[in-house]
Amino acid sequence: MNKKSVKDMNNLEKLHNSLSAKTVRSTIKSCIIFGLICQLVALTFFAVSITKQYISVATSTANQAKLSTTNGADAVGFSKSIMSVYNSLSEDERQKMGTEEYRSYFNEADIHAKGNYDDLFNILNRIRQYSDVFDVYIAMYDVENQRVIYMVDTDANIDTRLYPGEWEPANRDGMLKLLDYDKNDPLYYIEYTKKYGLLCTVGAPILDDANRLCSFMQVDISIESILHAMLDFSLRLTVAFIIVTISLAWLQTKHIKKALISPINQIAQASQDYVKDRHNNVSNTEHFSNLNIQTGDEIENLCLAMADMEIELSEYEKNLTKITAEKERIGTELTLATAIQASMLPHIFPPFPDRKEFDIFASMEPAREVGGDFYDFFLIDEDHLCTLIADVSGKGIPAALFMMISKTILQSCAMLGRSVADILAKTNEALCSNNQVEMFVTVWVGVLEISTGKMVAANAGHEYPIIKHVDGNFEMLKDRHGFVIGGMPETKYHEYTIDFKPGDKLFIYTDGITEATNAEMKMFGNERLLTALNQSEDTSVKGLITNVRSAIGDFVKDAEQFDDLTMLCLEYNGNCL
Amino acid sequence: MLNINTEKNGNELTFKLSGRLDTVTAPELEAPVRNDLSGVSDLIFDLKDLEYISSAGLRVLLLAQKTMNKQGKMVVKNVSEEINEIFEVTGFSDILTVE
Repeated sequence: MNKKSVKDMNNLEKLHNSLSAKTVRSTIKSCIIFGLICQLVALTFFAVSITKQYISVATSTANQAKLSTTNGADAVGFSKSIMSVYNSLSEDERQKMGTEEYRSYFNEADIHAKGNYDDLFNILNRIRQYSDVFDVYIAMYDVENQRVIYMVDTDANIDTRLYPGEWEPANRDGMLKLLDYDKNDPLYYIEYTKKYGLLCTVGAPILDDANRLCSFMQVDISIESILHAMLDFSLRLTVAFIIVTISLAWLQTKHIKKALISPINQIAQASQDYVKDRHNNVSNTEHFSNLNIQTGDEIENLCLAMADMEIELSEYEKNLTKITAEKERIGTELTLATAIQASMLPHIFPPFPDRKEFDIFASMEPAREVGGDFYDFFLIDEDHLCTLIADVSGKGIPAALFMMISKTILQSCAMLGRSVADILAKTNEALCSNNQVEMFVTVWVGVLEISTGKMVAANAGHEYPIIKHVDGNFEMLKDRHGFVIGGMPETKYHEYTIDFKPGDKLFIYTDGITEATNAEMKMFGNERLLTALNQSEDTSVKGLITNVRSAIGDFVKDAEQFDDLTMLCLEYNGNCL
Repeated sequence: MLNINTEKNGNELTFKLSGRLDTVTAPELEAPVRNDLSGVSDLIFDLKDLEYISSAGLRVLLLAQKTMNKQGKMVVKNVSEEINEIFEVTGFSDILTVE
């Protein structure tokens, strides 16, 4: 989309695209269309009515002329004698029209009619001059040859005036219409002639006493003059229309400016101020609320909606600030909780620098800020080292809280010097007694007699420990499992013994290690763990744990860490004293 | 992803589970275990299509087992080798009736 915004336009484009310019253009467009339709209607109406008026005037002129010529002269007799001469002529003789010879045929008829032609001419000529029509004449049709034969013609132009008996080709439709004089009223037809231009011919039949048609009194009026009048009318209409259009456009623009453009500009200005204030971090502004637009239409609605939006945004911002502050507070607390949890676990290595009989290293990496896994080791007395690893069900803060209490109880029970089975059983009773949420913890615990290398261990639902004897590989010890701690009261645990020779190692871990999952949903598993341990170049307790951690990292790659990762490694060096 | 298909037949209720029962999905099973067990005397978990169970999932099974200890019996059926291994390691095979 390459839509140009108002911001990118220069001043000329802005003016061209402004609402007032658009209004002017649309007003002019609609006025032109409206004006054209008006003119068409007006001209049609004008043409029809003025033509009717002309025809009616011409009809009365024809009737007046007919009366004058039939009463004041013998139009009937003259017509009859001219037609009888015309009818007696052969076609060859008729073709001689315009010659002296041809005229002489008819002069005799006039003499026979006692000079009637001059009387008729004078009467009709006066009527023509008086009525201001194009031509007044008496004529009859030769239907067979489609001719109009003139009796008396008063054409003002002597060159085109026709004399008795002279003829012209007739307009067929007009001729038939006039001959059918009983049915048509008024009697007229309009034709275009090369000689006279656009003419309207009106006729009145001249009948003898026996009601036989002798000839027609015809009046020609020029339509050209009507056309001129129409053109004149159209010109005046156009001028009036242009004036009306311009004033309408001007009025409309003025109105639009007041009703539309000014409020829109106010809203635009308010928006700009609003954005400017936001950039300068000024909040709680009332740019839209302060606008006073009372147009009562969509613009006012828009303004009200913008004002609402401003208030809503301001409220939202306040809430957001509150929520952000709350989140920050929780974040700070969690960071602190992470630090507290980490400091609860022994984390300074080597932990007993003066005890050369064993090396120990451990790590705990929670999936979230705090975790449910933990490890622990402490000397119960000079000759007994307790090591344990545990995993609370679930993750996050609930697991962390349960982990804290579990760790404390386990250590307290262990310090009493009881057997490992007893430590687990007592811890189980303590955790079951007030456990409303069915949380539990899996624990592996072992107590090493440092002087002999004999370790007594018990497993409460935890992963198998991994043992490496000095001349062998790391191998899983499929020990006997008891039920998890905190699940069921009165659970009994079995203890067993592992004999450590100098150089033997113990690796304990949580299920976060074996169940570390990559993007293809494959688990790290026991085999990869054993391989990582057995193939480690650095066989120190720290080196082993570092190698396992990097093997897991290579395996899961970018996949999210689901569970806490906890490991502990112990190497027995024998009694060095 | 966890799908729970519940079938009730008189006093017998069966949950057929498929997918993964872990920290994210365990609450979906915990809700019916907490709310829908009244009047149930035989509760059956069909784990035929269950791929994985985490400690959070075991916690819900423990909750169900504890509830059923008071009002009837609970059986876990069609347990895959992987899941059975988890039951063995955590000692859950001692408290659950696995068929």
